[in-house]
Amino acid sequence: MTRNGKKKRIGVFVCHCGVNIAKMVDVERVAKELEDYPGVVYSTDYIYMCSDPGQQLIVDKAVEERLDSVIIACCSPTLHEVTFQKAAERAGVSPFQVEIANIREQVSWVHTDREEATRKAVRIVKSTVEKVRDNEDLEPIEVDVTRRTMVIGAGISGIQTALDIADQGYEVLLVEKEPSIGGHMIQLSETFPTLDCSQCIMTPKMVEVSRHPNIKLMTYHEVESISGYVGNFTVKIKKKPRYVDEVACTMCGDCEEVCPEVVPDEFNMGLSHRKAIYLPFPQAIPGTYTLDIDSCLGLWPIRCSACKDVCEVNAIDFDQKEEIIEEKVGAIAVCTGYDLYTMKSLGEFGAEKYEDVINGLEFERILSASGPTGGKVLRPSDGKVPKNIVFIQCCGSRDPENHKPYCSKICCMYTAKHAMLYKHHVPDGQATVFYIDVRTGGKRFEEFYHRTVEEEEVLYLRGKVSKVYKEGDKIIIHGADTLTGKKIEMEADMVVLAMAMEKKEGSEELLRKLNISADADGWLAEAHPKLKPVESINAGFYLAGCAHGPKDIPDTVAQSSAAAAKVGGLFAKEKLQHDPAIVPVIEELCSGCGICVNVCPYDARELDEERGVVTVKEVLCEGCGACAAACPSGAAQKRNQTDRQVFSMMSAILRQ
Amino acid sequence: MADNKRKLHYYPGCTLKEKTTHLDVSTYAAMEILGYELIEPENWTCCGAEYPLNEEMIMGLTAPVRILRQVEIEGGDKVFTVCSFCFNVLKRANEAIKSDPLKNKRINAFLKDDIHIDRDSGEKTTDFKQYNGDVNVLHLLEFIRDWVGYEKIRSLIKRDLSGIKVVPYYGCRLLRPKGRTAIDEPDDPSIFEEFLENIGCEVIDFPFKQECCGSYLSLSMPDAASEASYNILRSAKLSGAGMLALSCPLCYYNLDTRQDRIRENFADSPEIPVLFFTQLLAWALGVDEEVLGLDQHYCNPRTALGIDKSEVKK
Repeated sequence: MTRNGKKKRIGVFVCHCGVNIAKMVDVERVAKELEDYPGVVYSTDYIYMCSDPGQQLIVDKAVEERLDSVIIACCSPTLHEVTFQKAAERAGVSPFQVEIANIREQVSWVHTDREEATRKAVRIVKSTVEKVRDNEDLEPIEVDVTRRTMVIGAGISGIQTALDIADQGYEVLLVEKEPSIGGHMIQLSETFPTLDCSQCIMTPKMVEVSRHPNIKLMTYHEVESISGYVGNFTVKIKKKPRYVDEVACTMCGDCEEVCPEVVPDEFNMGLSHRKAIYLPFPQAIPGTYTLDIDSCLGLWPIRCSACKDVCEVNAIDFDQKEEIIEEKVGAIAVCTGYDLYTMKSLGEFGAEKYEDVINGLEFERILSASGPTGGKVLRPSDGKVPKNIVFIQCCGSRDPENHKPYCSKICCMYTAKHAMLYKHHVPDGQATVFYIDVRTGGKRFEEFYHRTVEEEEVLYLRGKVSKVYKEGDKIIIHGADTLTGKKIEMEADMVVLAMAMEKKEGSEELLRKLNISADADGWLAEAHPKLKPVESINAGFYLAGCAHGPKDIPDTVAQSSAAAAKVGGLFAKEKLQHDPAIVPVIEELCSGCGICVNVCPYDARELDEERGVVTVKEVLCEGCGACAAACPSGAAQKRNQTDRQVFSMMSAILRQ
Repeated sequence: MADNKRKLHYYPGCTLKEKTTHLDVSTYAAMEILGYELIEPENWTCCGAEYPLNEEMIMGLTAPVRILRQVEIEGGDKVFTVCSFCFNVLKRANEAIKSDPLKNKRINAFLKDDIHIDRDSGEKTTDFKQYNGDVNVLHLLEFIRDWVGYEKIRSLIKRDLSGIKVVPYYGCRLLRPKGRTAIDEPDDPSIFEEFLENIGCEVIDFPFKQECCGSYLSLSMPDAASEASYNILRSAKLSGAGMLALSCPLCYYNLDTRQDRIRENFADSPEIPVLFFTQLLAWALGVDEEVLGLDQHYCNPRTALGIDKSEVKK
């Protein structure tokens, strides 16, 4: 009620927002009715409070009327609360004495009766006066920041993020669960729309990462757990045993030659084979062999140990054990990428039943000079050149009833690229593409698509395929041409399915460890779909690349650099400020029941068994108020939103 | 012995008492060996054959629901069918009454005023209790997999069918619409294959197992139906099958009975025996040939079943 022993002097500023508010609310009447309200010493209205003259009005009147608190009746606090707090500060009013009464989103935009709307606006402003009466001046909580970032995932997104942060002079831990960095991009043949070789543009970045003094590369590592808060995370990282000393290994390949175990090669999408001890691909970083223990005959030398016996530099060490490494970081960038939707789900296309029905990534490997066919387009079943190839777009995408509701975004372009590259390899072959729409939103994408159709003479048929089956060694395709309305039955030697992209396998578990959220499809959720696209809702977490949703390489790189810039912004601060509007414990009232400890989603509350009261880790508390609602004795009171304030606000609203 | 048999409700449907009695008889014969006494719900009627496509067609749901209510009145908690159409209609009607409160209310309002007169005593029953979809509707393939178990089937096999190359033909009604009323995943089903493997057949994969046989078009557009059926028979033959197994009387009509009609349009349409899965089951379990009703087939399945002519004469 009082400030420095005197009654608070409160000012009310009612905004018209052009006609946004004024059309449905009689703003002048609102200002007028507030004039006589207890505590209010000044009340006025103005057309645009957020404009420079509007802000100046607040500053001038605050000084002139010696205001202790300021209320602006305007739009949602998410938009201009900070604007008005800064303005009030210029007049010497504490930002904690500035309150927003939302009369736009909660009144003018949602009502149709002007009289009723005006009455509601008056009540909302009056209740805000009741709240601000008891607002205290708070001091921000300051915390240190560890200027070190953990980047999870080392595909193009993680690599770009790591490099851009490292170039700003900050340390980076780049954690990758696979034996080598590179992700999906290193698997690709050529990239649209310029057709530059993916490996040629990717490997320099990979080398740069491995040489960068600020980057600590942690391949074959997985995030185990995370604790702490923005600026001060403690992460535990599991180092998986490689059973090969990565420094000693000279990549001579002797071990691979003698290894008796043959398994499908993941890098080539199972189109070729590797040994149990293997180098994922020639340019792998770090350049070391890895022993895949799941395929190995066993670590008991008595069982095999052929690789160990033949290794001249004694790099193979069967005694390596899993290790847990603890590190401190201030920010975490999640760049975990995507998986292709499983072909199993498309039974009608015979996927995973017929060898010559493959997915886009498999075709990338077939096109790649370093791939299983040495860059020749040969079909997997018999190694013949497919003279007739059919591409099916939207396999699993844009099908909310059966598969994924979203567009996977890159398939139109990579299918056009596939068809074009196929024609380059097999000029006398026929390429046919089934599509729903061709979406070419991107720089020089449309031109690329036109080249595919016009210069390469790829046949584009609009329609969906209903069935793919085999008759003898021919693949038969049934479908519909929705432009002519005719049924289509055609033969093909090979079919390439543009499978939908989906969230990385195991990403739910990682998100649970990180305690960050995802959308309904499992893609990482950004803090704001337009204005905060690279930040997670949880402070200190950044996201980039396909972990956030389907996107192409240029978009991924741009988003990764943006995430790195945001991390730089965080690290540029001397100290981090934490909102002091937290929920402390009134120890005299606390019975030590511990209910609030269990409801706290941020692990900010702890029961002090000895004293029988709960204590609060202030920097962890986000002020959500879950504990305040749960506390049976009123010992948890959110600062500037105490029970007393809430009740007086309710009285003001309900009073006739 | 009969006392040891477990009682089980069975809804045959009209076609099984008329055109395809061999489907009915082979079901009885096989189920007896498996240890079940089949009970047909008293006064059962036609199921309606088609699940009403019009959401407002409540009348079309009364017949199947009445049948299911009768099963419940007789103390049954499940009922199985072998006809794909009957299965589809009963299952979907049951699902509708279970999951759609408005339909439940409206159908039960219709059925409440039923008058039932007992065949023997002439005693009248009125004021029926509400039916809420608590009877479990099953297709025999599901019942065998989940209640009988393949292991038991294998232990009771009397005849070796390993020389029989068979393709399973699902048709549409067992698999569509996708979801709770389908017996398997529509685009990649396996329950029929598993069944055939477990009774000892050599199962051959063929791509037309879920295609439409032509259905009722054999009446209104016979040429269109012939084309649909031809594609299936041709594909079965190309896949190397000696026989096609199915569960639907209408598919049977289109694919077996109409084989010569199909040849009017497609001279190269293969002659391939078409058997009900229950006939194969009964045969594997050692049921006598005479019971199977093999003479009812257009395309004689005896050779495909490995029945020697001399044995037939016997």
